[in-house]
Amino acid sequence: MAIGTIAGLSYWYPGSAEPALREVSTDLLDGLTVVAGPSGGGKSTFLRVLNGLVPHFHGGSIAGRAWVLGSNIVETPTRNLARSVGFVFQDPELQTVYNTVDREVAFGLENVGVPTRLIAGQVQEALRVAGILHLAGRTVRTLSGGERQRVALASSLAMTPRLVVLDEPTSQLDPDGASLLLAAAARLVDEGRAVIVSEHRLDRLLKLATALLLIEGGRVERADPASWRPSSTASTPARRASSGSEMWSLDGVTAGFNGQPVIEDAHLAGRSGEVVVLNGPNGGGKTTLLRLIAGSLAPLAGTVRRRPGRIAYLPQNPTALLHRPTLRAEVKLTLERSGDRERPEEILDALGLLHVADRYPRDLSTGERQRAALAAVLPGSPALVLLDEPTRGMDVAARDALVGLVTRLRGRGAAIVLATHDSDLTLALADRIAHVASGRVRETPVAAVQK
Amino acid sequence: MNARAVAAWSATCLVIALSTANPVYKSLVLAAALTTLAAGASLRRIRGLLMAVILIAAFTTLLNFISAHLGATVLFELPPQIPALGGPYTLEAAAFGFTGGITIAAAILSAAAFSLLLASHEVVDALPSGLSRTGTAIAASLNLVPAVASSFIQVTEAQRLRGWRPRGPRSWSEIVVPVVLTSIEASIQLAESMEARGFGSGPRTTAEPTRMRRSDWLMVAAAALALALFAISRAAGWAADWLPYPRLTAPPIDLRPLVACVPLFTPALLWRLGR
Repeated sequence: MAIGTIAGLSYWYPGSAEPALREVSTDLLDGLTVVAGPSGGGKSTFLRVLNGLVPHFHGGSIAGRAWVLGSNIVETPTRNLARSVGFVFQDPELQTVYNTVDREVAFGLENVGVPTRLIAGQVQEALRVAGILHLAGRTVRTLSGGERQRVALASSLAMTPRLVVLDEPTSQLDPDGASLLLAAAARLVDEGRAVIVSEHRLDRLLKLATALLLIEGGRVERADPASWRPSSTASTPARRASSGSEMWSLDGVTAGFNGQPVIEDAHLAGRSGEVVVLNGPNGGGKTTLLRLIAGSLAPLAGTVRRRPGRIAYLPQNPTALLHRPTLRAEVKLTLERSGDRERPEEILDALGLLHVADRYPRDLSTGERQRAALAAVLPGSPALVLLDEPTRGMDVAARDALVGLVTRLRGRGAAIVLATHDSDLTLALADRIAHVASGRVRETPVAAVQK
Repeated sequence: MNARAVAAWSATCLVIALSTANPVYKSLVLAAALTTLAAGASLRRIRGLLMAVILIAAFTTLLNFISAHLGATVLFELPPQIPALGGPYTLEAAAFGFTGGITIAAAILSAAAFSLLLASHEVVDALPSGLSRTGTAIAASLNLVPAVASSFIQVTEAQRLRGWRPRGPRSWSEIVVPVVLTSIEASIQLAESMEARGFGSGPRTTAEPTRMRRSDWLMVAAAALALALFAISRAAGWAADWLPYPRLTAPPIDLRPLVACVPLFTPALLWRLGR
């Protein structure tokens, strides 16, 4: 059954001559609809049309018609669509209003004037459907990323929307957190709601999907979820370079904050021409380990050794780095500082960003911004490369480009450390794997992960 | 603890601390605020605030000491030819500055009860319905503070590793610009999330209407009692002001205004009894 119709819809962001959506015409169906396509293709913009954030929140101009659950999107403000269309965003940290779980879930109900006596019951039901009844009463800041994202899901479910839209909801979650969230989303379909989800981790979702929308260059096409597969080549294990001398080491290192250890008694080392992958759950200590290796964090005990040389470090929120007027200028800045004789276009080409080289980096899509930040830190020949969740929000093609780039840096003799949840990236690049969980670091054979 | 009761107590502390120039009564207010915060929040949580308050108080004392050049008890002198700094440095100027420091510390710690002892929704619930939407927006934006702080650390670390070094005010743009831009983007995303959940669609309700319990009424009564007794003490001339100039003397102390300040310790007591 169709729950909405979009006909000849085009949309331009404020100040943009190029439309972000071009002549989109499609029906929205009951069940689970998966939205796929390359970064920067218009997925997030399309999803925001469904609850009216585009155009009512973002401005710009719109042409064509869009009806969702009987409401004319072009004429109905988002706040009035909130009861029928729930929306979950990418970043769980940036959608929290209150600091306790119950009140956060109740926020939408308060906004639409649900009587006080009914709120508690609806909150409980939303927590149950999202699979987080056990989190009732908890303080939001004490939750993991996966738990926070399910609180966000419960917050939108509390208003009993007929349609739930999820915009890359697992991009910042570890595999366990992502699995739980996607399972909760799948349960919504069983309960009779329509779910539209944009994701890069498609394998499991495609098996459950009733419809698939492919979005690229602002155009939307329908495809059969049973037969469609991503067109990009899969990441294949790259050639292992012979590793050189020891570049960095942690010897009995304990580290943490306010006297509370986050990493305890860690022993680990890496060589030039070698890729060490750190995996493990959110909050396990991977970022702390990277900061220790980089020298940004002093250990509470033990010794950190590092041979001199340029360090390329991609932080967990990489787009925070971007501040130059163009992406080309960002790359140039790093090259000038490092003294490397390389043209900015080389790395931009390697990461598939040449066509946006003269754009303002913060105007790019989430996936493109991630690659832009990589381009800003990785040009030239760094001696030590530290990347924190480098494939966050990336499509398969972009991940393949990253694999190529890291392989090249490894070939030039860089020592590389990746903190990642991405098993495909791990399989493609890892020479060694260290599992980091609850502050403990334990080496895992690569063969075990391949199995 | 009810936010309205905390508001009554905070307001009383502020009025008493700001209405007298006597450092003894100001110190008593400061002690009440400090014990209340220590009882309601862990010492670890208030450690950062305490450090900031101590620094501000020390700065206030120092500023008056080096700029006032008044008073009879001269500790040392700098040649008068030195602009602004030249002249006598006196014990009285230091004492007056110290009193200012106590005032600021008492005011900050009294007001800090709102953020340290209450959850953001408790503050919003206590607001009159007309201010509910504004209060919610403020509560939501306060949630961004930790994100902005962590983004500052991340950007500084990452830019350092990218070759940035602090070389004069202009070089800080590489840190400040990304942090500001990230904060603005975070605010926009939060606003988007609030809009998507119907914020601003009409009159709001609340999941937990504010209810005053017996302990809350006790706190309000204690604040009212302290305010009334101190006002009477001021009117009757028992809570006399004090000025260290021209020569430093001990501040006048009267038992009645001291007793008036004692009820300000009620929340600390209630907190301890409630545990």
